Amino acid sequence: MQNRDQSEAELTLVTRSDPGHEHEAALIERIRSGESELFYQLIRPYERRVFVIAFTILRNEADAEDAAQDAFLKAFKYLGQFRSEARFSTWLIQVAINEARLRLRKSHLEIMRPIADQENDDGTYTPRDFTDWREIPSEALERKEIREKLVEALGSLAQKYREVFVLRDVEHMSIEDAALALGISAGAVKTRLLRARLMLRDLLSPGLGGVWTGHSQIPKGTKPWS
Amino acid sequence: MVVKCEDVWREISNYFEGDLDPALKLAMEEHFVQCTGCQSVRDGMRNVIELYGEIEMFTLPAGFHPRLRGRLSDQVEGRKISRRAWLVSVGVTGALAASAICAAALDRFAPRPLSEMSQPARRLPERLVAIVDGGKKFHVPGCPFMHGKYRMVTPEEAVREGYTPCIRCMRDALRSAGGVTPDFEGEERASSATAEE
Repeated sequence: MQNRDQSEAELTLVTRSDPGHEHEAALIERIRSGESELFYQLIRPYERRVFVIAFTILRNEADAEDAAQDAFLKAFKYLGQFRSEARFSTWLIQVAINEARLRLRKSHLEIMRPIADQENDDGTYTPRDFTDWREIPSEALERKEIREKLVEALGSLAQKYREVFVLRDVEHMSIEDAALALGISAGAVKTRLLRARLMLRDLLSPGLGGVWTGHSQIPKGTKPWS
Repeated sequence: MVVKCEDVWREISNYFEGDLDPALKLAMEEHFVQCTGCQSVRDGMRNVIELYGEIEMFTLPAGFHPRLRGRLSDQVEGRKISRRAWLVSVGVTGALAASAICAAALDRFAPRPLSEMSQPARRLPERLVAIVDGGKKFHVPGCPFMHGKYRMVTPEEAVREGYTPCIRCMRDALRSAGGVTPDFEGEERASSATAEE
């Protein structure tokens, strides 16, 4: 927490002095003034990120693509409401999260929402495995199936943990930006991030038959932390 | 200060965020020396953060760009394209094509990264960086994502040897250097634009 003021100061500094940010702000002004053809240029750097967060929530490629497209259209429609003291990317992610959550609520997937999604963040999480996992086998990083295992493990987490983990550890957003995008406090982001990281560690660690031993799978439908 | 295993488990994520009181951080490091269980938790969490941070897990579906572009053209830009818009789009396309050609030419002469999953360095710090023989990343000394004994080299030397920047500690180092934006996002942008053109 003691670093938070410093981080916020850095964030402000970056936002003010970032030439990319200034270029983006100028682009937004031109779009607001009627040059709507520039909108694609504005959003293009964030296409992948918007799709990733929609996929994280919906877990279906086609739905995620539709949600991403709708999010971009909404961003255009409500660009007038964007306040330039925030990062455009953070605001856009916020729009995408809202769009994906809305779709999820409307779909039958809501019925199948894991029980863990409805849990609160209270209580501590106790690691289950203490096998030595000091080294990542370097060749493992190059293996194609590792990616599938990582996606599978991430997909087995509850939505609120997936969202935080993807924003911070996959998309490398700051804690503050992730909190802003998700509409929760920085403290809640940290708590969920801790749980997500510990759960993934347990799911992937060698002692629980993680990806490194090569002979065991993460059993479908199991939630080792529940 | 003395900490118990439960304290370590509660604070281990903040340990990797660099968001700990120095006294608590020191106490945790002393605890790690004598507790193999917490060492395992620390090493496992570090591996999780590194793995998910490095591997390109999600790819856009085939045809994503044209479908999005088509929908935006219909609903945002309008079907009628003005002469000015046409000139802008030709200009942008030309600039992107030129940058793609330049990037491809530069790539031919760029050192090959030791890790195929990593982005090469596009901006470098002005001070020396730490590398570990057999590793793939260069770091700021003391980075919790660095294993084993390290040696200090210039950033240029590290890049020549195929090392790529640690996305955690180097981001902070570039940010605190001032005047240089730690624009990993922008690098991602540039590389994806190049790849997609």
